Amino acid sequence: MKKKLLALALAATMIFSLVACGGGGSGDSTGSGDNVTITIFNSKSEIQDQFEELANTYSDTHPGVTIEVYYSSDTVSAHLATKYASNDPYTISMVDAKDVYSLGAEHALDLSDQEWVKDTNYAIKIGDAVCGFPVCIEARGLMYNADAIKNITGEDFDPATCKTTEDFTALLDKLVAGGMEAPVGIMKEDWSLAAHYFQEIYEEQPDPEAFVQSLYGGSADLANNERFNSMMDTFDVLKKYNYAAASPVAAEREVSEQKLAEGEIAFMFGGNWDWSLIKDFNEEANLGMMPVPQSTADDYNTKLVGGGSKYFFIDSSDNTSEAQVAAAKDFLNWWVYEADGNAFVTESCALVPAFGNINADTLDPLSISVKDYADQGLLVDNYNYDPDDHYSIVGASMQKYLAGDVDRAGLAKEVENYWKSVTPVEH
Amino acid sequence: MNTNTMSYKTKQYLMFAGITTFVFGAVVIIPFIYGLYLTFTSWDGVAKTKPFVGMANYTSTFADSAFWTALGRTLFYSVIAVILVNVVAFILAFLVTSGVKGQNFFRAGFFVPNLIGGIVLGYIWKFVFNRALVSIGSALGSTTLSTSLLSTTGGAMFCLIVVSVWQYAGYMMLIYVAGFMSVSNDVIEAAKIDGCTNMQTITHISVPLMVSSFVQCLFLTITRCFMVYDVNLSLTNGEPYNSSVLAAMHVYNTAFTYKNYGTGQAEALILFIVCAIIGVAQVYIGKKAEVSA
Repeated sequence: MKKKLLALALAATMIFSLVACGGGGSGDSTGSGDNVTITIFNSKSEIQDQFEELANTYSDTHPGVTIEVYYSSDTVSAHLATKYASNDPYTISMVDAKDVYSLGAEHALDLSDQEWVKDTNYAIKIGDAVCGFPVCIEARGLMYNADAIKNITGEDFDPATCKTTEDFTALLDKLVAGGMEAPVGIMKEDWSLAAHYFQEIYEEQPDPEAFVQSLYGGSADLANNERFNSMMDTFDVLKKYNYAAASPVAAEREVSEQKLAEGEIAFMFGGNWDWSLIKDFNEEANLGMMPVPQSTADDYNTKLVGGGSKYFFIDSSDNTSEAQVAAAKDFLNWWVYEADGNAFVTESCALVPAFGNINADTLDPLSISVKDYADQGLLVDNYNYDPDDHYSIVGASMQKYLAGDVDRAGLAKEVENYWKSVTPVEH
Repeated sequence: MNTNTMSYKTKQYLMFAGITTFVFGAVVIIPFIYGLYLTFTSWDGVAKTKPFVGMANYTSTFADSAFWTALGRTLFYSVIAVILVNVVAFILAFLVTSGVKGQNFFRAGFFVPNLIGGIVLGYIWKFVFNRALVSIGSALGSTTLSTSLLSTTGGAMFCLIVVSVWQYAGYMMLIYVAGFMSVSNDVIEAAKIDGCTNMQTITHISVPLMVSSFVQCLFLTITRCFMVYDVNLSLTNGEPYNSSVLAAMHVYNTAFTYKNYGTGQAEALILFIVCAIIGVAQVYIGKKAEVSA
């Protein structure tokens, strides 16, 4: 009998602990009284520390509002899928443009009545509803280390003198002659090669949408496409002068960024987000961004490619209470209109603000370059409607090309075949 | 008290296995059935609606050449890794039961890799292959060694196998050690008296008596190799150019990264069936080979 009791007691404890574990987590953040907790999903790893710091101080200026910040290294859509599947969405989620288009219609709150809408050109609309709040502006191009170039050539580097592939090659030869053995770094990551570099081939077509449709339809002829060839000509040059030419697909991003920061190499294709890594190696690095040099008759070799990047949306489901929605809207207004909100964006996070009213004099050198191009209207728009597996599959083809396992005609064929095999993305 | 009634048996069952059954049902059986249902929908993982599409996901699974390539690659990886893990583990087990000095220390030492999680292990070895070996290679002036193994298609698979063997051999060694210890000294002695050499004692006495260890080890290594994901993710992440994507990683990518949840689920089901068939067949054949002294 005693044993039976003991067993029962044990069983009871187990059930109890099970229930206790299962009960937490969801839904009890609706808040009692004036206290409300909002959850923010941050998908930019480089500003996670700043967000966590903000979570500690935000309630000082906003009594009764607590912020909880989460980060995941998973793909954004994969991570949000698990949150929605468990009925536990974030109040505010930071996602990529394509995720706003795919999730927004069902899950995002319409923000068209908000004051900030008039202060930005980058908000995302789905139908008449404003669903995406632009977090920042980001642009892609060639990063250069001005000091490293000046040390060898002896003159200040002016990107405007280096527009064509020939100019660029001549400059690289000069650097090599001056003692910089291999002046270029190439990131082997599939997102960099496909979603950033190869993507410019679509984005710099006269009509990107029509071009992508012709890829789906199979009528596009990449191998004879002018943009494809001018971009790949430059890529061949980058490849030739790559410091990791011996095994290019083993190059590690951190190592390449460090070399750029310390002036061991002078050029690398990337974007202003790379500063967050570069600053860890050399906070004083005198860097800048310039368009990818191309021998082309049009003016795409004078423009960076980019625009709004990363968007906040507020969850519209029943899991988010009215108090939470109000606090979330407040947070977005704080971001745009309050001094400490602006300081958080431009100073703590070093983001290029997507709102005209925010002053941004204190940015890092790469972001200042981007802002210059943006202010002069020299940004080519992002094309945001790639199929989800584009970066991985075209990225694999680009890696093969980078490693020399496929020639240019083969690369064109692989990319064409990929586009023919996927279902067009509706938008 | 009558212990043969239905109600008594039910009570006994509930008392001893009730909670386990409940938990097993909640975290394995129900999700499995729900997953089966999802293979008939074109759900993308987030949408509120789950449109029913019949067998479409299975058709696209059969048409997905990348999946079959990944499955074939997994088969190749598993065959080699399973053989190597077991051979190495068996040899280690023999060595640490043969009475060498400090054998307990060696047992612990060989087991340690298994205590490091797959993700961490992958990053450690990535460093070894990408940096350590490359620096040694360039110091020696050898061109083959100074390019990272992980950047070639064959090399990446080779690295995966090496790391798996290193990770699992220690664990399997423990099971073989237990097998060696369970062979009673009487029969070994009898064999010696009858004039067996050491080699003959192992092949004719020890091995037949520890078949159950082999069955266990093979089962564990086969299922683990087929389902491997963590080492694959942190060591190669499918690179170079998706040439080291194993089946589990392909399933994850299809379901979550490419947002074809239904297709990914259908592919997972096929992977499960393949594993189940191989696992059950192997246990069945292994059991038949068991003998007792």
